[in-house]
Amino acid sequence: MKTRIPILKLNDVLIVSIQWELDDQTAIQFQEDLLNKMHETAALGVVIDLTPIDFIDSFIAKVLGDVINMTGLMGAKVVITGIQPAVAITLIELGIRLNNVMTALDLENGLDKLNKELEA
Amino acid sequence: MKRSSVEIITEWDIVAARQLGRNEAKKAGFGTVDQARITTAISELARNIYLYAGKGRIEIERVTDGGKDGIKVVASDEGPGIPDLRKVMEDGFSTSGGLGAGMPGVKRLMDEFKVISEPNNGTTITATKWLH
Amino acid sequence: MNKITVEGIRQNMDEIIERWIKTMKEEKGERFFHFMPDHLIEKTSREFAELMTSNIDESDAASTEKINDFTEKVVRFGWAIKFVNKAIDNFSDIVFELLEEKHIINDANFKSFNQLFKNWINPLRESIIDAYSTEWERTVSLQKIALQELSASLIPVFEKISVMPLVGTIDTERAKLIMENLLEGVVSQRAEVVLLDITGVPVVDTMVAHHIIQAADAVRLVGAKCMLVGIRPEIAQTIVALGINLHEFTTKSTLQKGMQAALGLTNRAIVEVEEQ
Repeated sequence: MKTRIPILKLNDVLIVSIQWELDDQTAIQFQEDLLNKMHETAALGVVIDLTPIDFIDSFIAKVLGDVINMTGLMGAKVVITGIQPAVAITLIELGIRLNNVMTALDLENGLDKLNKELEA
Repeated sequence: MKRSSVEIITEWDIVAARQLGRNEAKKAGFGTVDQARITTAISELARNIYLYAGKGRIEIERVTDGGKDGIKVVASDEGPGIPDLRKVMEDGFSTSGGLGAGMPGVKRLMDEFKVISEPNNGTTITATKWLH
Repeated sequence: MNKITVEGIRQNMDEIIERWIKTMKEEKGERFFHFMPDHLIEKTSREFAELMTSNIDESDAASTEKINDFTEKVVRFGWAIKFVNKAIDNFSDIVFELLEEKHIINDANFKSFNQLFKNWINPLRESIIDAYSTEWERTVSLQKIALQELSASLIPVFEKISVMPLVGTIDTERAKLIMENLLEGVVSQRAEVVLLDITGVPVVDTMVAHHIIQAADAVRLVGAKCMLVGIRPEIAQTIVALGINLHEFTTKSTLQKGMQAALGLTNRAIVEVEEQ
């Protein structure tokens, strides 16, 4: 069983909406897919929306953190949107701060933030 | 009391264990934040088993203590054990090169936390969360 | 024999109560018998005596309702559980003493009276102490709820800006509640900046600061910015003295200054309008 997370392109931005709980394989597959897509499309920014996700453990957090760092290396900016309060609290209690990440309340705010950042 | 368990052998069992945990937490009446705490703690414990012991088991049990209701998670394996417990409980320590959130993180997520580990004789971690 | 005892007690009730009050006044560390008006002492003592004697003539225990009423009252008066226990001891001692003086109890029936007293006092003591601890638990849980109601709510002030005033001491449990209210509020109010006002927090120690930093971090994760306002001079001093690092987030001395900064962050400002 292999599920892949769809990655959409909108102008210079890639949009990813993670709709269901990530298992390890899917998370790693996603990392690979996103980087390939970035290479193909030369996108300048990525928005990853996590609204439906109700829990993130340290492994998935690490994969996300890695994705963000790798995307940065490829010269693009990432915004994470829609982290639920419960998820934020557990991440903080786990000691995972995701320091260098841009965040926004939802996809709309995230795109705004990203566009402003890209204009600057 | 009701008790259910998941054998941890493959990566998929980690998903199964946390799903079981979330359902039990929901049934026990925990709010969304505590559900996330319990689910995350189980995921961390199950992953530790998968990574370090190879196989083991996660047991989830509804418990009561003097009018308090809660959920107890027992993670047990017969793996190599933890050589230096104190070190593992330090923030930032991880033997797998992960984020190192592991054990102290789980302790913070839950209300009670206990580790029994003997070299070459496996590890048993018991973590409990109470309904407030 | 029960009948004789009951009769004996009934006839000497006033004497018993008087002696009991006298003994209780000699007990150390209890204010009730010294500061309460006499008629209230008299009334309470009579109730106590009635409660104590209500179950001798019947084999069944004193009515739960009576016990609950009485314990509720003494908890409100602030009787400690030790004192309640002492009151029961003293009462049974005095009754025994008195019955001996009246020669109702003598050497011949001493043993059976002893047994009678045991069967009388012990279950009563158990139910009173049981009722007492139940009452006490209820009081504690009520206070806990009252304290939680005191806890922080997030107030939307302008579009995109919300304020959470914190009042009172912050312990771990409250900190968790504050964090949950804060985050749920940020998401539901779609706040982009939240001002955490600690003007009403008496002490900011390492633990409180830790909770505040965690809350601010979590706010950042859900996609908003957290600003700490209301930092009094003594709080600033303790924060620095304790070596707590708050560099990573914006702090302002007053809510007003914080609000201006928050408006700036959301590309707005307060403008005075000329009078028409």
